[in-house]
Amino acid sequence: MRIVAIESATPAASVALAEGREVVGSSQRVDRRGHVAFLVPALEFLFDQAGWSPGDVDVVAVDVGPGLFGGIRAGLSTAQALAGAVGARLAPVSSLDAVALRAATAHRKIWAVVDARRGEYAVAPYQPVPGGVVREGGVELVSAEAFRAILASDRRDGLVVGDWEALPESVFRGLHGIKTGRPRYPAADAVVDLALARAERDDLPHPDEVRPRYLREPDVRINWTDFRREEPWR
Amino acid sequence: MTDAPAVLGIETSCDETAVAVVRGYRVLSNVLASQVDAHARFGGVVPEVAARAHVEAIRALTHRALAEAGMHQMDLDAIAATRGPGLAGALMVGFSYGKALAWALDTPFLGIDHMEGHLFAPRLDDPEYGPPAIVLLASGGHSQIVHLKDWGEYETLGSTIDDAAGEAFDKLARFLGLGYPGGPAIDRESEGGDPDAVRFPRALPDRPFDFSFSGLKTSVVTYVRKHHAAGTLPPIPDLAASIQEAIADVLVAKTFNAVEETGVRALAGGGGVLANRRLRARLAEEADRRGVALHLPSVAMCTDNGAMVAAAGVYRLGLGERTAPSADIDSSLRLG
Repeated sequence: MRIVAIESATPAASVALAEGREVVGSSQRVDRRGHVAFLVPALEFLFDQAGWSPGDVDVVAVDVGPGLFGGIRAGLSTAQALAGAVGARLAPVSSLDAVALRAATAHRKIWAVVDARRGEYAVAPYQPVPGGVVREGGVELVSAEAFRAILASDRRDGLVVGDWEALPESVFRGLHGIKTGRPRYPAADAVVDLALARAERDDLPHPDEVRPRYLREPDVRINWTDFRREEPWR
Repeated sequence: MTDAPAVLGIETSCDETAVAVVRGYRVLSNVLASQVDAHARFGGVVPEVAARAHVEAIRALTHRALAEAGMHQMDLDAIAATRGPGLAGALMVGFSYGKALAWALDTPFLGIDHMEGHLFAPRLDDPEYGPPAIVLLASGGHSQIVHLKDWGEYETLGSTIDDAAGEAFDKLARFLGLGYPGGPAIDRESEGGDPDAVRFPRALPDRPFDFSFSGLKTSVVTYVRKHHAAGTLPPIPDLAASIQEAIADVLVAKTFNAVEETGVRALAGGGGVLANRRLRARLAEEADRRGVALHLPSVAMCTDNGAMVAAAGVYRLGLGERTAPSADIDSSLRLG
């Protein structure tokens, strides 16, 4: 099975090509604003290097967040177009899953963190199992203080991975049994593994059902008070 | 015409997801997912709401445009997508989609200036239209008068110094409680109204081709508050017709300044404001009176659409142009 993985949900964008589990090429760039410019040239380069043509692709895997809204949309639009052009299946993957999958621990509970900006963080807990991780709870969007409270109330030793550097240092101060580790960002090679697992289970949605995972409604409100005041005669 | 190139055009610069297939300058399909309902409750376009809607619609809409054109994607000669100007988050969706699709299909990709798209739109309805022409472009995001000297050679003669014309419609319609978008709302409400009921000021800045609409808003607001308090407010249709007349007067006056100054005898238009029936009638009257050929596109070709992007793509493709895979959007792209 030939898989193309597109990762652009965080400041680190990456692309990988894989034959089954074996990654045959990958490319990465860290630049929060450069995802639109990066993705297609990276694909073009990797396909040339690997001697692939787009028609060879069976599955297009893409990180649908949580993360940077613009980055997620650039990645998903690119993936939708590629999959649609060559009749490949589309495999959406979670950024938190991709981060947790690469955490190096055999016994600690894993906490994956993605910076959701505006003082909020997407977090989810995982249990390491042979060959991977299993998510132990739901994805939550929390403040730094709330995340600290979650960590403090958990009795198991934990490993926090992902963009914990975006959290204030005070979050970890005085917490026992909590370590921080790599990776900081999800990468396309992890997206490959997650997508492959879904594809092998035949657990891929229809492309129209694939949506970004924003975790947050658009930041707008209807100002009913002003609307009323501005219709004085009704 | 079967030898003319077939180009897929994608437009996602603001609040319409639009995709079309054009062969030469003939429209084979032109489909659109309007987000008006999504933005109406906020009284204006919300960028994040727009970007979300684009990413949900782009795939299905592209397939529909191809199906309606009776075309397979492999038979496309190029893919064109709006590169700017517009909302960055919105532009990103169509531009990324178009670029990736072109690469995967091994077909040329063209990033298109949205305003150039508007300049090409009248060509899709009217083969007589072409340079030299004066083109009035007015929408919620822009208001400018362009001298189309030749295809690819554009001079912006004037533009708004504050609000865009469509913005003025939106703000005033919202103030009057008429709904969103404001242009169609005021157009509808003005039916049967007296355009001379209230003489709102026409701001005509010294520069002969520039517009200003912010003063009109202040003047309408002041007028309505005062006359409502005194119980002397005219009926809504009269107010709507009078506001519409003030905006149309300014647009018509400045546009014909440009026609006379350049001596160009052809006039065209584009942008959502050109869908306004009163403005269209006034432009037609004035063009007729002065013996100027008028090439106003249909309403569907005035508002944002994929066909105009594809048409500009047909032209750019003909020049042998290609947009590099490493290209990015440019939300503040300027014509010319």
